[in-house]
Amino acid sequence: MIEVQNLVKEFQNTVAVDDISFSVKPGTIFGLLGPNGAGKTTTIRTVLNIIKPTSGKVLFNGESINTNFLNQIGYLPEERGLYKKSKVIDVILYFAQLKNMTRTQSLQEAEKWLKRLNILKYRNSKLEELSKGNQQKIQFIMSVIHNPELMIFDEPFTGFDPINQQEIRELIFSFIPQGKIIILSTHQMETAEKLCSEIFLINKGKEVTSGNLSKLKNKLGGNHVEIKYNGDISFLSGLGEVVNLDAYNNYAEIELKQDVEPSSFLKILTEKIELTHFSIIEPTLNSIFIKLIKQN
Amino acid sequence: MKKIITIAKWEYIEKIKTKAFVISLVLTPLIIIAFSVLPTLLSNKEELRTKAIGIVDPSNEYFKELTNELEAYKIDNDQPNYVILNLSGKGKTLDEMKNEADKEVLDHKIEGYILIEHGNTDSMSMQFRSENFGSFQDLRRFEEKINKIRVNHELMKKGIDPEIAGIFQNNVEIEQIKIEKSGKEGKQDFLVVFFSAFIFILLLMMMVIYSGQMLIRSLIEEKSNRLIEILISSCTPEELLSGKILGLSALGLTQIAIWSLIGISLVGGAVIPPEAFENILPMLVYFILGFIFYTTIFVGIGAIVTTEQEAQQMTTYVSLILIMPIVIAISAIQNPDTMIVKVLSYIPLTIPSIMLLRFKVAPVPTADIIITLSILVLSTLITLKLAAKIFKIGILSYGKRPSISELIRWLKEK
Repeated sequence: MIEVQNLVKEFQNTVAVDDISFSVKPGTIFGLLGPNGAGKTTTIRTVLNIIKPTSGKVLFNGESINTNFLNQIGYLPEERGLYKKSKVIDVILYFAQLKNMTRTQSLQEAEKWLKRLNILKYRNSKLEELSKGNQQKIQFIMSVIHNPELMIFDEPFTGFDPINQQEIRELIFSFIPQGKIIILSTHQMETAEKLCSEIFLINKGKEVTSGNLSKLKNKLGGNHVEIKYNGDISFLSGLGEVVNLDAYNNYAEIELKQDVEPSSFLKILTEKIELTHFSIIEPTLNSIFIKLIKQN
Repeated sequence: MKKIITIAKWEYIEKIKTKAFVISLVLTPLIIIAFSVLPTLLSNKEELRTKAIGIVDPSNEYFKELTNELEAYKIDNDQPNYVILNLSGKGKTLDEMKNEADKEVLDHKIEGYILIEHGNTDSMSMQFRSENFGSFQDLRRFEEKINKIRVNHELMKKGIDPEIAGIFQNNVEIEQIKIEKSGKEGKQDFLVVFFSAFIFILLLMMMVIYSGQMLIRSLIEEKSNRLIEILISSCTPEELLSGKILGLSALGLTQIAIWSLIGISLVGGAVIPPEAFENILPMLVYFILGFIFYTTIFVGIGAIVTTEQEAQQMTTYVSLILIMPIVIAISAIQNPDTMIVKVLSYIPLTIPSIMLLRFKVAPVPTADIIITLSILVLSTLITLKLAAKIFKIGILSYGKRPSISELIRWLKEK
């Protein structure tokens, strides 16, 4: 388990992370979400023990994080690069051995992973000869080859085509039953929505909201319905029950006041217009994100 | 420790495979050989040729004897070094003789000619006329021989036995002998001392610049492609730093080893005098320690700079300090006990090169060796610690170079 307690990191003039706390249990994917410059990377670097916090603590299985944990951490940084002139297998072996694996172990695992990601044929190629997507696969392998307990993926899907995204997503899912602690940092809400069970939304260094994703959706999602219709709905904007109206041609998304029952709203509608479709919709994480950040 | 070795091995193997390394391995000794050996080879070649030399001596006082003396010089396989031609035709004026002789030179029939005017009077004068300036050795021989003959003539005129003249001309030369601690004596040739020390310092400087740049380049690469983040989430900055220094030092030693082999084979060929390899062991110690010290400095620089151009500038400045002792080399060789030499041999940055120099010049007192080595080792350790600190923060600061005040703050940070 990873516990972050009252973490503060100040740089010369700015507070990059301002008193945040969260914990990640084994077997969960924890989404660290926020716009660019929110403090995600600083938080990750503190968790990784790359930088020291100004105050606050990071506990790994109850112990303050220190260099002894290096071998149990797998990290995929957001910006990626590799030793372009070196051979694929050499680079993987180097980083695996830096995580204290033996050469034989590393070789075995490397080949297993290369095979699994369908790039075994590039084993002896130079990295510069690989496509961008395949280079990213190598980096992904480097971050998980030593079977770490804690995995931190910073924007793991950028640069992958949809097929490879799917492949990586499945791989990340496969770590859940193994009881890995997984932190996923991203600003792609769609991805986070599909993967994470817990989220932590950060903006300008401060916590905006956090917790179980479906509970959050209930709490923050509000009361949304979508309709398809024939007729004139301009009367809706004057209605007391409606908070927000998003009208298109014969299609509209309507946010209702929290206490308005969708069924009673349906009655009002059927009296005025011809409905072809009516449904209650769950808000997307994306819309919650935008709403909260704007409020912030 | 295991990780340090992993890093060192990686740096060593990846760098040794690069084309740049292989090229520098071959090119550097070639350049040094070109600089140190070629001039000797060229001037030696000069001696291996028979030259046609004319003599214009209207007085006819010198021609015969001078011809005998000069034709006595032999080159390999007993060929004469000079073939002498008499160009002083009878019944011609001096100007006519000169014109004809000049023409011979310009037509490349002769190398040049010796013009002796007023040979039988006190106002005698001499010229060697040729298309190019002749070799110093030739001129020295001509001068020496003509003067010898002239003095003989003068003495004979005054009725003095030429044997007495021989006494005047037999100069005794002073030979310089360097007294070594062990009691054995060595011959001290200024040029040998200067150049062998010079070559070592040059070698050190080239290695420092070369591997310093390699180190910085690899740091900048890792910084710009963010591999550094993976690296320091796998090992501590100290481990990374030590691994890199170790790997590059091993690389440097490989270079020296290969260059030494070339050097030794050249000694076998007697091109480099064996005296150049005196005191080689203590010098190697200074060489290696100096190399590690400078490499450590470069790591600190590598953590600060963000582009290769910046890196190049910084490495050049630092390396200049290394060759500064060359400037005072001449006075240091002539008098190794001067104040400036003493002072410079206690400053960490100049210790390696100045000590390389001192070992060549005179026996170095054991106390001095102990003190300088301690200073060097100590300052390497301190630099290592400071570099690690700068490195720790610097590697994650992308984009801009920190100001001096920022650097100081980094160093203070715990």
